[in-house]
Amino acid sequence: MTKTAGGIEVEGLVVECLRNATFKVELQNGHTVLAHISGKIRKNYIKILPQDRVLVELSPYDLTRGRIRYRFR
Amino acid sequence: MNASHPAAGTGEHAVHVTRLSDTQWHALEGDRVVGHGDVSPRPDGRLFVSVDVWHAAHFAPIADAMLADLPTPLYTVVDESDHDTAAAWEQAGFTVARREQNYLLRTDPQLTGPGPVQPPSGITIVPSGEAEEGPLRALDRIVRDEVEATVGWCTMPAEVRPRPAGDTVIDPSMYAVARHGDQYVGLLRVAQLPRQPRIGLVAVRADWQRRGVARALLAHTLDALHHRGKTSAYAEVDRSNAAAAALFEGAGARPAGGSVEYVRG
Repeated sequence: MTKTAGGIEVEGLVVECLRNATFKVELQNGHTVLAHISGKIRKNYIKILPQDRVLVELSPYDLTRGRIRYRFR
Repeated sequence: MNASHPAAGTGEHAVHVTRLSDTQWHALEGDRVVGHGDVSPRPDGRLFVSVDVWHAAHFAPIADAMLADLPTPLYTVVDESDHDTAAAWEQAGFTVARREQNYLLRTDPQLTGPGPVQPPSGITIVPSGEAEEGPLRALDRIVRDEVEATVGWCTMPAEVRPRPAGDTVIDPSMYAVARHGDQYVGLLRVAQLPRQPRIGLVAVRADWQRRGVARALLAHTLDALHHRGKTSAYAEVDRSNAAAAALFEGAGARPAGGSVEYVRG
């Protein structure tokens, strides 16, 4: 887990693609969050699929929500 | 760079948007970062912006600050199912430039693929990795000039990979081509991405269109992927490009979401 200026970043595994451009991501600590993709990922046409390892920034307002900031290769 | 743009927030603090660099902005409410903005140039020179916020009310201050700082036109991309973000960009003055359909293609011809497809008479398909670089580059130049003279490349799915100026064929081994005599008349580029191959470009010279060249290239490529153990591939198509949609749907492609490109002039 990393604390950045923007919030807390955690690695996770995408377990399901949901509607409305959101994804269910299982974090390393076992918790599951609903995450949408960051604008930079969207702009660069990076596809997110189940089983992808991703870096999620958790919402400071709701720790069950997050934003996928990076997809690991 | 530290231009600050105050705006109303969601709580007791005003939101201050600060430009951190040539390409980045952030919004602070009190001492908390509540959003980011980013701009990046595409290889074709167009500027694409994005905004990430946790609360919808923080979107407009960041977008407004970016729009005040940047030249126009500006572009952005939104997932077609993300109605909230689309509405936010529309409120910021962006309008739809084009819509892109994603397709998922199965590669097994026994399942949903196009089945056996014979190339048109006189055409042979040169597999990827075997095309000669000189004729390939010549064909690429011809089809790009033909597109530019008609609908324009702005209607084509975005190419976001950096490349040297003027070079549109980075890796010739990614291309299968259709050959007629000693001329190349059609090409198909497929990126062998680790998880799922991406068909990034299918193009046929104008004087060889409507003869089944693209269909033969696609069938060959799907079959080659199938034999390499890849079960599926994906592609993006401009929704207004009926010929391209028909090509992929004729090969059993299934729609798999899409995106909307917005522009603000």
